[in-house]
Amino acid sequence: MFDFSIITNWIHEQLISFMPTGLAVFVECVAIGICIMLMYAVLAIIMIFMERKVCAAFQCRLGPMRVGPYGTIQVFADVFKMLIKEIITINHADKFLYNLAPYIVILASIMSFSCLPINKGLEVLDFNVGIFFMLAASSIGIVGILLAGWSSNNKYSLIGAMRSGAQMISYELSIGLSILTIVVLTDTLQLSEIVERQADGWFLFKGHIPAFIAFVIYLIAGNAEVNRGPFDLPEAESELTAGYHTEYSGMHFGLFYVAEFVNLFIIAGIAATIFLGGWMPLHIPGLDGFNQAMDYIPGFVWFFAKAFFIVWLLMWFKWTFPRLRIDQILTLEWKYLVPIGLVNLLLMVIIVVFKLHF
Amino acid sequence: MNEIIDIPVEQLHAEMKKLHDERHFDFLRSLTGMDWQEEGLGVVYHLENTLTGENTVVRTHSANRENPEIPTVCDIWKAAEFNEREAFDFYGIRFTNHPDLRRLYLRDDWVGHPLRKDYDMSEETNPLRMTNEEPVDTTARLEVLRDGSVIEKREVIFEDNEYIINIGPQHPATHGVLRFRVSLEGEIIQKLDVHCGYIHRGIEKMCESLTYPQTLALTDRLDYLGAHQNRHALCMCIEKAMGVEVSERVQYIRTIMDELQRIDSHLLFFSCLCMDLGALTAFFYGFRDREKILDIFEETTGGRLIQNYNTIGGVQTDIAPSFVQKVKEFIAYLRPTLREYHEVFTGNIIAEQRLKGVGVLSREDAISFGATGGTGRAAGWACDVRKRHPYGVYDKVEFNEVLFTEGDSYARYMVRMKEIEESLRIIEQLIDNIPEGEYQQKMKPIIRIPEGSYYSAVEGSRGEFGVFIESKGDKYPYRMKFRSTGLPLVSCMETLTRGAKIADLIAIGGTVDYVVPDIDR
Amino acid sequence: MEKKRNYINGLLHGIGTLLTGMKVTGREFFTKKVTEQYPENRKTLVLSDRFRGMLTMPVDKEGRNKCIACGLCQMACPNDTIHIESETITDETSGKKKKVLVKYQYDLGSCMFCQLCVNACPHDAIRFSTEFENAVFDRNTLVKILNKTQSNH
Repeated sequence: MFDFSIITNWIHEQLISFMPTGLAVFVECVAIGICIMLMYAVLAIIMIFMERKVCAAFQCRLGPMRVGPYGTIQVFADVFKMLIKEIITINHADKFLYNLAPYIVILASIMSFSCLPINKGLEVLDFNVGIFFMLAASSIGIVGILLAGWSSNNKYSLIGAMRSGAQMISYELSIGLSILTIVVLTDTLQLSEIVERQADGWFLFKGHIPAFIAFVIYLIAGNAEVNRGPFDLPEAESELTAGYHTEYSGMHFGLFYVAEFVNLFIIAGIAATIFLGGWMPLHIPGLDGFNQAMDYIPGFVWFFAKAFFIVWLLMWFKWTFPRLRIDQILTLEWKYLVPIGLVNLLLMVIIVVFKLHF
Repeated sequence: MNEIIDIPVEQLHAEMKKLHDERHFDFLRSLTGMDWQEEGLGVVYHLENTLTGENTVVRTHSANRENPEIPTVCDIWKAAEFNEREAFDFYGIRFTNHPDLRRLYLRDDWVGHPLRKDYDMSEETNPLRMTNEEPVDTTARLEVLRDGSVIEKREVIFEDNEYIINIGPQHPATHGVLRFRVSLEGEIIQKLDVHCGYIHRGIEKMCESLTYPQTLALTDRLDYLGAHQNRHALCMCIEKAMGVEVSERVQYIRTIMDELQRIDSHLLFFSCLCMDLGALTAFFYGFRDREKILDIFEETTGGRLIQNYNTIGGVQTDIAPSFVQKVKEFIAYLRPTLREYHEVFTGNIIAEQRLKGVGVLSREDAISFGATGGTGRAAGWACDVRKRHPYGVYDKVEFNEVLFTEGDSYARYMVRMKEIEESLRIIEQLIDNIPEGEYQQKMKPIIRIPEGSYYSAVEGSRGEFGVFIESKGDKYPYRMKFRSTGLPLVSCMETLTRGAKIADLIAIGGTVDYVVPDIDR
Repeated sequence: MEKKRNYINGLLHGIGTLLTGMKVTGREFFTKKVTEQYPENRKTLVLSDRFRGMLTMPVDKEGRNKCIACGLCQMACPNDTIHIESETITDETSGKKKKVLVKYQYDLGSCMFCQLCVNACPHDAIRFSTEFENAVFDRNTLVKILNKTQSNH
């Protein structure tokens, strides 16, 4: 398996050879920041294009076909349009908070995005409480949504924001529980460690029944966490026109839009990392030839393939089901997911204690 | 036609109460404002006894043209509330004791009452106003004092401190430009106030200056998902008045077309309901299949939405040569597809829970509001005009009237899905047996209707669609009233949604299935 | 106990119904799509002959139309879409007076395609064509003179 830390270490050594260490670290930080932003933007564009094509395929349509071959340039055109649109601030809105809200959302999104280990040695934020940090960072986003709804001076927005508050805070619990189930199995919170431990089999297989239940709970709760259908109540377009971002225009709306899609990718990325081994190739203990062959496929290909597969799965959910009502959402969480998650956690503890896992 | 009872204004309320309580005329089919010029202004009520199917027509009029006052009957039939508001709007008839006497369609600052024969049509009276209408949160109520004098009281609709949101007129879930003002307590709906008239085109007024064949062109534009049925009703009414019998072939073609239109409408209903509930994929499936019906329509009638097919004494052109085969192919295609719909949406636990027990309308309320069609049948009221007053060739075919008793959104939804199957059955029985014959009877170049008043109704896609014509023997109708299928449906929205959640409002609106151009006319 | 069974049954039933729905959409993901790629498919586009696109006045080989300027279509139109200008000329050979069409003006912008004019015409001089791409930038271009080809002769 190729280790990217060789390259990063080489760059680091080159830099400190002609500048003081402090400056070198600063330069590296800036460079990495730019890289992350770039990757974030590119991923958003890929995700938006994928969403439009996948949803079209489920709906017996073709999706964008006009701009570029198979509509590939469509999203670039849309992004360009979004960039040149006027950013409108409406009367009687709380201007400061109104303008701040999209940045909080995007900040939270980028922060959790940088936690994802893409390849061996390609971890940006990687420390011993990595997954904990990631959960904390991603839940900042809800503050942005609440602020957007509150400061817009629009009744639809306010209802949307309140709904998202109730929904996201509830579902964070389930996400935490399902991740905790895997943490019990790995006894570490560091994301790179979690991936390394899956060298002899992904946790979805190693942890069998409880891991699978945790995986399903995670997918449902993760979908709800990023406000995507069937949990898109905060922006329920047939009820609240566009929910919390009704009043936003131009790139401010664009930020919400992009954040929504990358958040979906982040959710899929975490699922890929903790359940499907992240960048770790498919290893089956005992079949060394097979394992070696798998190792020739680079790690980031594994990671993106897994993540996009889960994205596709989530899109399949979204484009099949009708939207839930607020009481159904809370019933699902508090009457089904949380108790099942707790029992599942207990089950995992028993399995770990008695070493019943593979 | 039926017996016409003239009741003087003074005894109207007592006599109507008697008709309702003693003779069980519990269904107010239609309420029509009239202007009989020198005789004064009045109202025509069409009543039906839902037990025996007996019909009667009641007329009343007030000679006072300046300030006509007629007692309200909306405490007897809830359907009268909106219809009387319409009559007030168009004729200025003041209904005493009416709880909410506002204009229904026109702006509050409109001058005059446009359907009166002496209405001033010049632009000076009602210039194009570019300012917004001020929202008024109060309404008028005319109370009769003991000494017989009438005073006007203002009543409050919404208090200042209520959290009111507008659903519409531009909103993804109102299926057109209908506006609800909704008072919320959290997510729960406290009160709902319907505002109609955003696409009021004055079709009834226009009809008064058009010849009978010309009026036909406007019916397709009422309920655009019931274009065939609407036009069928008007043609039937004119033919009945003229004593014309159309050929058997025409009857068959009209019936088949009506049923295809019903399937078309119900498929659109399914699609839009799915979209309202957020299942966008099912929406596309519905539209994909509706396209096939539209293609069949286009081939025969030349139109997809506005078909202009029925004419007085026949149909515009004979059916296309491949019509029979295409319809058969479509029937064979739709049956399995319907199963797919049920798999993707009906059986879905989310959809089921969002529809079951939501927005319950009792049978009594359905009758009282006159909420016919799927809404009435979901509440257990056998209100199908095809069974009550068979027309076309409905008496020759075998089909079930789909009835549910729950009256909730799920029942309303299922009624329509089952009706698609019944419609397929009807078409199957007819499609191979279309008799030979003329598709258009020779009519006189100028069509006149003998003096009198005529009412005929068909089962539209979403309820009873009636046409009431009063003729003075001219080539123009003196008064032409369309019994809207949608108006009773929106009038019961307040009853249905009170205490429901805002997401339920969307589901209820979707299942009640109103079409706004039909309400506003 | 009953409640517990309901809880579990409800859960399983719910998951079951959701999976059935996903089966349908999953199948649809791989089937052929129904999108029509207009305007690329202009050549293969099938329109019914009876489709009402625009009122036209067909001409014969010599470029003559059949209109006798009787004005029945103008009278039949509910929207005053049609305006006919005619003049009376005397036939030199027979000496009979005859009405001749000068200008047949048709406003596509106010036409509602009710077909009453076509029905009213005693000589089949007008009919609807299937042309449907009628979008223009200026309303005035929608006002058409239908007998133009004749006046050019």
